[in-house]
Amino acid sequence: MKPNHRHAITSQMMDKSFLADVMKMRGGQNILDCIQCGVCAGSCPASWAMDFTPMQIVRMLHLGMKETVLSSSTIWICASCYTCATRCPRGIDIPLLMSALKNTAIKEKVPARIPIKPKFHKSFADIVQKYGRIHEPELFLKIANKTDMHGLMENATLGWTLLRKGKLRLKAPKVNQKTQWSSLFKNVAKEGSN
Amino acid sequence: MKYAYFPGCSIHTTAKEYGISSKAVSKVLGIELVEIPEWNCCGAMDAVYAYNPLLSISLSARNLALAESMKMDVVTLCSACFFTLSRAHKLLREDSELKGKVDKLLNESGLQYTGEVRVRHFLDVLIRDVGLENIAKNVKVKLDGLKVAPYYGCMLIRPPNIVHFDDPEHPKSMELIIEAIGGKNVDYIYKTRCCGASLGLTDGEVMMEMTKDLLLEAKNANADCIALPCPLCHLNMDAKQKSIESTFDIKIGMPIVFFTQLMGMAFGLNPKELALNKNCVPTGKLFKQIHD
Amino acid sequence: MVKQEPKIGVYICRCGCDVEGNISATVDVEKVKEAAASINGVKIAEVYEYVCSNPGQQMIRDGIKEHGLNRIVVAACSPRMHLETFKRNVKQEGLNPYLLEIANIREQCSWIHEDKKLATPKAIDLVVRAVERARNLKPLEEKTVKVNRAALVIGGGIAGINASVELADKGYQVYLVEKGPSIGGHMAQLGKTFPTLDCSSCILTPKMVYVAQHPLIKIFSMSEVTKVEGSPGNYKITIRKRPRFVDATKCTACGECAKKCPITVKSEFEVSLGQRKAIYQPFRQAVPSAYSIDKEHCLYFTKGVCKVCQKFCKANAVDFAQQEETIELNVGAIVVSTGYEILDPYGVRQYSYGLHPDVVTHLQFERLLVQGLHRPSNKEQPKKVAFILCVGSRMVENANDSDYCEYCCNIGCMNAIKEAYVFQKEVPDAEPWVFYTDIRAHGKGYEEFYARLRNHGVRFIRGRAAEVVPNNGHLRVRAADTLLGMPIEEDFDMVVLSSGLVPSPGTETLARMIGIHTGSDGFILERHHKLRPVDTQREGVYACGCALGPKDIRETITESMAVASQVATFLGKGEVPVSAEVAIVDEKKCNGCEECFKFCPARAVEKVPSTFRTRMEINPMSCTGCGICVPVCPKDAIDLNHCTEEQLMAQIRGVEQKDDVSPKILAFIEKNTAYASADLAGQTRAHYGPNIRIISVPSTGRVGFKHLLQAFASGADGVVFVEGEDSAFTGDKLREHVTHLKKDLQTVGVEPLRLVSTTITIPQYPKMVDTFEVFATRVSKIGPLSPKVRLEIGEKLAKLKEGESR
Repeated sequence: MKPNHRHAITSQMMDKSFLADVMKMRGGQNILDCIQCGVCAGSCPASWAMDFTPMQIVRMLHLGMKETVLSSSTIWICASCYTCATRCPRGIDIPLLMSALKNTAIKEKVPARIPIKPKFHKSFADIVQKYGRIHEPELFLKIANKTDMHGLMENATLGWTLLRKGKLRLKAPKVNQKTQWSSLFKNVAKEGSN
Repeated sequence: MKYAYFPGCSIHTTAKEYGISSKAVSKVLGIELVEIPEWNCCGAMDAVYAYNPLLSISLSARNLALAESMKMDVVTLCSACFFTLSRAHKLLREDSELKGKVDKLLNESGLQYTGEVRVRHFLDVLIRDVGLENIAKNVKVKLDGLKVAPYYGCMLIRPPNIVHFDDPEHPKSMELIIEAIGGKNVDYIYKTRCCGASLGLTDGEVMMEMTKDLLLEAKNANADCIALPCPLCHLNMDAKQKSIESTFDIKIGMPIVFFTQLMGMAFGLNPKELALNKNCVPTGKLFKQIHD
Repeated sequence: MVKQEPKIGVYICRCGCDVEGNISATVDVEKVKEAAASINGVKIAEVYEYVCSNPGQQMIRDGIKEHGLNRIVVAACSPRMHLETFKRNVKQEGLNPYLLEIANIREQCSWIHEDKKLATPKAIDLVVRAVERARNLKPLEEKTVKVNRAALVIGGGIAGINASVELADKGYQVYLVEKGPSIGGHMAQLGKTFPTLDCSSCILTPKMVYVAQHPLIKIFSMSEVTKVEGSPGNYKITIRKRPRFVDATKCTACGECAKKCPITVKSEFEVSLGQRKAIYQPFRQAVPSAYSIDKEHCLYFTKGVCKVCQKFCKANAVDFAQQEETIELNVGAIVVSTGYEILDPYGVRQYSYGLHPDVVTHLQFERLLVQGLHRPSNKEQPKKVAFILCVGSRMVENANDSDYCEYCCNIGCMNAIKEAYVFQKEVPDAEPWVFYTDIRAHGKGYEEFYARLRNHGVRFIRGRAAEVVPNNGHLRVRAADTLLGMPIEEDFDMVVLSSGLVPSPGTETLARMIGIHTGSDGFILERHHKLRPVDTQREGVYACGCALGPKDIRETITESMAVASQVATFLGKGEVPVSAEVAIVDEKKCNGCEECFKFCPARAVEKVPSTFRTRMEINPMSCTGCGICVPVCPKDAIDLNHCTEEQLMAQIRGVEQKDDVSPKILAFIEKNTAYASADLAGQTRAHYGPNIRIISVPSTGRVGFKHLLQAFASGADGVVFVEGEDSAFTGDKLREHVTHLKKDLQTVGVEPLRLVSTTITIPQYPKMVDTFEVFATRVSKIGPLSPKVRLEIGEKLAKLKEGESR
């Protein structure tokens, strides 16, 4: 998969301030230590499904290729399995970095390569903020997308299977002591999200 | 042996059998799991973090603060919760600016967190606090060489500088317990490979491709069942097994049990006590096999 | 002895003609001459164009003759330029060369400033200080001491072997100490060497035989160094020789004993892939060839039975009663050639080393290639072999907390390529795959060798292997082909790990014993990275080969030759000069408290037991003249030749004169590296303020609280310490020193901000200039030192001096 460009990468695609920003992100402090050895790419169980390998993403971060990175599928497909970070010889926390990039993409409203992903993260966070715990039926409804009938059906089937086994709760959960809980949430919103 | 028990969201819903069987096993072994009152979602790895990092860490911190007020170590059954809480613990210890922000939020809710509490997985408690000998002592029904494929998944063992538990490449913890209860460990190459569970709801196809390989390898190694320590992996490999079979046109039919269910069976507990009927892939044959 | 009345001659250089000279352009040399001439004791002050030239030198000699001058001050360029010339010149006229002082008014004055009105008073100040120092100079004699023309070589691998050969051929007695039963090291374990594919044993064994037969080389096998005493040129070494339990003079190495021995254990030489008996020879070509008994496994030593070897030995060489020996040797120089060890790749968990017998290190694979290549698991010939490079190397962090190397192992790439080649030659339709991060083919013939192998069907995959997992009798290797951006998975019969190279166990302990340093990588630290790559920090101690860092055989041989040359230079004349600029303990004042012993970085302080107490003595052969011991002595019992208390205090004091500049800052600069850096600032015409007055000291550790008091009492408003980064007075020690001094300054009312320090390398002069400027600004802000405090300090100083003279 090649980055979007005409015939060569030019400095116009390189945003030095983005590299500086990445180095301030949690997980990004030491990305310049990367020697591009490829252990992460070799370890990643999902790299075959990504448009760029984790190593290539770090390479692009070095070059400040902001748009390409934030619009890649890689940052969304990373499942935080941590196989890469366990083996990285330079101690780079790649999954944490990927999460920070997800967050940046969401904050800056970059259209996600896999649109359901930012929706998933927002929905999950919203539901947890509301109830204090996740409520699977509501999550499913929030991310249901009529344009992906196949995915929708898979999730619906799963929901039905779990419901039959009594492993899906239709009623929303409640964390007792609501006051303590909701005040925490309000204050987090005040602080800003980092 | 008393611990501040953090169930995590799945224990009360999608992984009910894990909570039930763990409680049953704890009773036999004399472990007291005191559920943390008013616990909240830990943040679920990066489910919340990707949208709001501070909220995610605060969620974990609140649980840790509640456990601290109970003056006990936190024990969790879910590997993802184990990782999420451990990572928050580490980040708060290393980043004083972050700790300051989170402390402020906690204090406003009347809570305090100094970082003293330890985060442990239930497997850790079984091996280090209870001991393999004590576990073996309680075996009433020999598993008689039942071929078990241990599946560790990711978050229980990686990365070692956050979770500090077992060897990240060649873990042994579950296998030691399986041996202690009379089972035979089956070696197969994917026992620590990620199953892709966190991608399940949004990238079902990728997840199924990843999980299919694990199931096939375990099947080709002639395992009678797969034992695992995480609700997310279980959901994937158990509830979605039929889907995977039909998508790839293969036959697997592998019972997926929580290791505590297996322990419970060895301890002579009945299927109801272990909620064996809640597993999607039927476990009846497995139970019969053990009791014959 | 009547103190000689000082008759001082001051010679000021224009360094060019008229007012165009390098000095005279920005310094009014006539004014300097005037000022100098008016100082008490100065008999003559002259200005000349090029004082260093013949006529200039003649001028000085004439001055000495005509005016009976007994102290000479030359105000000119840096002493690093012409000090020796001037010294020789005054010596010619019969004046002791240590009665000469040079004031640096070019690199550290005229080249730094542009305004004559500011540069001239500074030049005068520097000359005044030089005159005051000169007034107190004392004649010193340079001695020589005889040296022992023998060398100790520690470590019998190829580095030690070749160094011994070179030294013995130059006529030196060599004692070669080797820990194991035989010399040869790791090179004896290799098959073919890259890139020429020489057989390793073919080039090594002749040297081993040569060493064994050379009349000037004595091998001490089974031996380790336990103590190093003495001083450069005269080291006293204690060696512990472990018993072989076989008389090496009788053993014929026939091997009958081993044939009969009932105990079989893993062979270290075969890296656990082969076996040996409890009585054994590590390899067939061992030197010494005598067998030895492994006490830990021998039945006689563990259970008190057997002794079959003794029964069958026709030469009657087995001696179970053999004892450990302690041997003392006298040598003039020491060579450290202790070599390397392979990093245990068990810690790199994802490669499954130790979990499957077919995952081996490169050294183990080497042995298999020599024995006849087979899979350790089933003895069959492997067809597909994966070579994984950089195992445990080039790592900055390890999530696992196991050992790793930050540095590149240097030989991993070439060794793997060579092993792939030999593998192909041995096995028909062999398939070697090399998983690499970067191919480092830096040496002569390496790139060509690599290119040749690429054409030979060796498959190179660019990507550090992610994991090796045992899979159904095979080993599955997973990596990313990073050039394609795709994962690649393949099953292999064997996996060879190019593991990192680490220092031999015990290197750190040995280094401490000898008094030399190791670097952050654990290898012996060379004196200077480029200019003195085989010297250590201690005179007469050298290092070569992998003890200094991983390298190939060619570089090892080169270093061993270099080391032989260094030793020959050091010992060649049969005597070495002992510097006169050494520290001396006044035995009347010394109370044996041992503080100086603790602080001396050169191991020069020796404890001398005497009638009532131990007292300390400084060995002039070892003393490097840093002066750190002087302020540390609580009894003021130590003084440093050519930078005595009198001389230093006089230079700091200068002469009471109207403050020509405010604030005034005294900069104590370490005389080698830091001074060179300050000169470089001048050479490149950098600029800093004229309020910086530099005083050269052997080390800033020489400067103590008393000297600071003198500085402040005599008009300074701030003090800077600049120390060379490679100095024995390390950055940490300097910081500690300055912290204590700041506390002391506070007790006399001087703000701790008025003292600052930094370390520097020669090219870092911009850092020095920056330090000066920033500090000067800071001191300006807090203003000059309060006159009241200055007075009080002066009084305190006077009291201290009174106390001393009593």
